[in-house]
Amino acid sequence: MTTTRFTGITLQPSHTIGRAEFSGPGFRNPVAMVRGEDDTMYVVSRSYDYRPDGKRITICTLDEEYIGEFARGVTTAGEGDPSDADGSLIWPTAIALDSEGNVFVADEWLNRISIYTGDGAYTSKWGTQGSGDGEISSPSGLAFDQDDNLLLVDCDNHRIQKFTRDGQYISQFGSKGDGDGEFNMPWGITVDRNGDIFIADWRNDRIQKFDRNGNFLMKFGTSGSGDGELDRPTGVAVDKDGNIYVTDWGNDRLQVFTSEGEYVTQTTGDGSLSKWGKEKLDANSEMWQERDIAQGLERERLFWGPIAVTVDDDDNVFVVESARSRVQIFRRQVPVFFGGRL
Amino acid sequence: MANNDIALMAHLMRRAGFGASYEELERRAAAGYEATVEDLLNPANRPSLEMDVLERRFVDWREMNALEVNQAFWTYAMINTERPLEEKIALFWHGIFCTGNSKCEHGRQIKLQIDMFRQHGLGSFRDLLLGLSSDPSMIFYLDNCMSHKDAINENWGRELLELFSMGVGMDGEANYSEDDVKECARAFTGWTITNAIPRYPYGRYEAGFIYNPDDHDEDNKTFLGETGNFNGDDIIDIIARQPSTARFISRHIYNFFVADDVQVPAWQNTPPRDEEAIKMLEDEYFRSGYNIGSMLRVLFNSDAFKNARFAKVKSPAEAVIGTMRVVKDFTSPKPGLHNLASNIRYMGQDLMNPPTVEGWHTGGEWIDSGTLVERINFAADQVGNLELPGVQDMVARVGSDGPSTAEQVVDRCLELLGAYELADDTRAQLIDHVGRSGDLIPGTPEFSQRVGQTLQLIVSTQEYQFA
Repeated sequence: MTTTRFTGITLQPSHTIGRAEFSGPGFRNPVAMVRGEDDTMYVVSRSYDYRPDGKRITICTLDEEYIGEFARGVTTAGEGDPSDADGSLIWPTAIALDSEGNVFVADEWLNRISIYTGDGAYTSKWGTQGSGDGEISSPSGLAFDQDDNLLLVDCDNHRIQKFTRDGQYISQFGSKGDGDGEFNMPWGITVDRNGDIFIADWRNDRIQKFDRNGNFLMKFGTSGSGDGELDRPTGVAVDKDGNIYVTDWGNDRLQVFTSEGEYVTQTTGDGSLSKWGKEKLDANSEMWQERDIAQGLERERLFWGPIAVTVDDDDNVFVVESARSRVQIFRRQVPVFFGGRL
Repeated sequence: MANNDIALMAHLMRRAGFGASYEELERRAAAGYEATVEDLLNPANRPSLEMDVLERRFVDWREMNALEVNQAFWTYAMINTERPLEEKIALFWHGIFCTGNSKCEHGRQIKLQIDMFRQHGLGSFRDLLLGLSSDPSMIFYLDNCMSHKDAINENWGRELLELFSMGVGMDGEANYSEDDVKECARAFTGWTITNAIPRYPYGRYEAGFIYNPDDHDEDNKTFLGETGNFNGDDIIDIIARQPSTARFISRHIYNFFVADDVQVPAWQNTPPRDEEAIKMLEDEYFRSGYNIGSMLRVLFNSDAFKNARFAKVKSPAEAVIGTMRVVKDFTSPKPGLHNLASNIRYMGQDLMNPPTVEGWHTGGEWIDSGTLVERINFAADQVGNLELPGVQDMVARVGSDGPSTAEQVVDRCLELLGAYELADDTRAQLIDHVGRSGDLIPGTPEFSQRVGQTLQLIVSTQEYQFA
């Protein structure tokens, strides 16, 4: 028996994880996430400027079990000044795991990569501000390649740099501009199964694809809000079949493209009440009463500030929403037809 | 370029904006005074803030729900806008059409109101009142959502007349009666809001304006001597054509842009400080069809305005932003903006959260021993920070004059800060103090520090508190 696959994709809403909190179960202005081992995930909260206590990395499961949090440089609740002590965060932007499950987090204010164990224990840091080889200015995206080297989106230098895990410079590609292989404040990055590199070329409103050596392969997307058009794309992910997912930040939607960059579908979100959210409301019955008389609750379904996207091997698509302190999860559904050719 | 041109431009920019660096003053003075007035009055001709880049760095600005986040945004906008009058007019209306976070508890909802001031603040006063009447935060703040055709709530109707348009009286006479208040409230029944979505679990969503015809009183009303089945917009039409409205708005404009007048509650029985200027504004109000921008054009080009230098005590927002625009800090996103914005609150102006619907008392009432210390400490810390680009610019300009006496340095620093003027004895004391270490020689190790200290002395004077 042979299997014929069809290219149509449906994103089936699965569930929503999150709640707006400065600590504990929940996130605060999350900007990035990465899947961990088994059913774990790490979510980076940037928090408000005036609430540095909310800056942290939360470990939880896909079933919304809270495991813990780390990188909280300021643990005193309330207003305060952020800390730049080792392991703490000021303007975190991106997160990636190496092959051993160590956690790498970029900070675009400190121009620093902080490294933690998978359990959140701080181990080391690297990063020097500048524009020379191996120097960085506002790192905004991180992804490991198949050799366990770290590809870093060097936003304000408009380029991609490759480093060893301990921060030794290897190579770079890209420069400022809008031509092929040029960037304007690039943001998100992902590496597909072939080792090709995808960059959310943020201020050029497009996605660019490169081979593992940084050679330009293709681009797609133009400025706008129509199907396939982009308004400041922030994140990019590629599933196991090569389909490309883009958080279209300015348009508050997620768009899906084929591996060739052809538009397939989009969603503007389908958020639901999370487990943590329900727990909060159950513990505060007046909150249920407030919701009972609220109008326009359907607004909660929509994306607000979709800022990062990840796809795991089980076809779960995770969309991080900075303005709603949550992650919406979808299941990619692909028609599978059985039977031989007629 | 004549110093008078710079001094006049500095005056205009302090009033129609939040002050300007010397380099901007030179550029604008070269373009000409009237051309600058036109430039200020047409903000759409200038680029707006690049919100995509700002929301990228200040990620919390995408939703902008918390009061503190909004205060930080507004502070940044006032410092960096290329449309200074757009922000200044928003601040002007915010001081009159007060809505407070203490009741609304949703900064974003109030920001939408401030955005409306940015958009319509230089346009028709009638349109502005209509926007205010349908603004969800105002409807909630003044309880119009609790005013029903069978049980009116007078709060909005009363404040619309008393605080937002006509004032209680003028020339010793009352402008309206208690019956007018009730009739006004009746006309606005049905002007209400949809309910917002509460904070948990994902954050608030704003309320929206909605007109509920089923809750509108359809009977005749008699308002200010006119009778009809008035709705809210009819009431606004009637209000807009009242001489008392022209007077009230003119006095507010004068008090904010020209010179400190007595506090608003005294206006019924206290004549305007400059009756001729008020008459000029009233005439333009009617001539232009209630256009605020037209009133400001006439005002800024008048001698009454040009001759009113330093006739106003700076508001806390003006005190903080004026200094920041000169020292050129926070010209791009960086952490710590909330701390900067908090200085405005420490000085007594909690933006988007005024103490009452009456707003803040202005003029000399901004100042007490505590807020004065806040002002001086803040400004002295800024201009004494030799790492800030604007301070470095001023030091370099003083240095470019070559070796200078204390008198020359004091006068040059006064000019660079915005053509400030000191009382003779104050100026003499500063010159004496600066001169104790002799002349200032560029290139010497202590030169920058002594210029910085001179700037600090100037911003610590009483005169620096005036705009």
